[in-house]
Amino acid sequence: MTTAVKKLDVGELVEIDGRRYEVVPARQGGGLTLETPITPVSELYAERGWKPASAEDFERVAGHLPTDDEG
Amino acid sequence: MPQAGKEPPEIAFVFAEAEWSQEVGRLRERSPARAQAERARRQIEEGREPVDLFRCKAEGDDGTRLPGCAKVYVPLGRQGASAAPFGFVFQVILRAEGLAWAFLAFGERHPDDPDERTVYERAHKRLHGRYP
Repeated sequence: MTTAVKKLDVGELVEIDGRRYEVVPARQGGGLTLETPITPVSELYAERGWKPASAEDFERVAGHLPTDDEG
Repeated sequence: MPQAGKEPPEIAFVFAEAEWSQEVGRLRERSPARAQAERARRQIEEGREPVDLFRCKAEGDDGTRLPGCAKVYVPLGRQGASAAPFGFVFQVILRAEGLAWAFLAFGERHPDDPDERTVYERAHKRLHGRYP
């Protein structure tokens, strides 16, 4: 008897015990891993009629904000 | 340490259910991270005090690209990585009601676990659909 092995690629979603996971590149060491999904804003905003603010609007709202030495 | 900017009160903060569920709902109930996120959200939504915002880098040294975004350290009102190990990332969006800060991501700023994504990497993934 052979066991069917399912092959997964980056971006695919799987459900395990009722929870969804996304196949993503591992943060280190190469290879792939499963993480809880992060739905992109392009998909979420389209459903809501939202869009990212223009660069001009962002500067008006956030141009005065300081930065720090991280992301 | 730079002084955080004070957000003008007319710009609302929006925590949409889908993003909140994926960012905070993934964490164990009663975990410190989840408790800190929930407390910080309550404080922001109550709006009793100014929210300290820092502008995110359009192109970060870690490969993240977060134009149009800003961050808040969590717990609120603290700055150092040990005092405020977590962060929220928001993006300025335009919706029918006008401009708003839309919640994108929650996570650790400098995780000890090398396999753990930073909050900036999570925000990049939500913006661009893939990790940097």
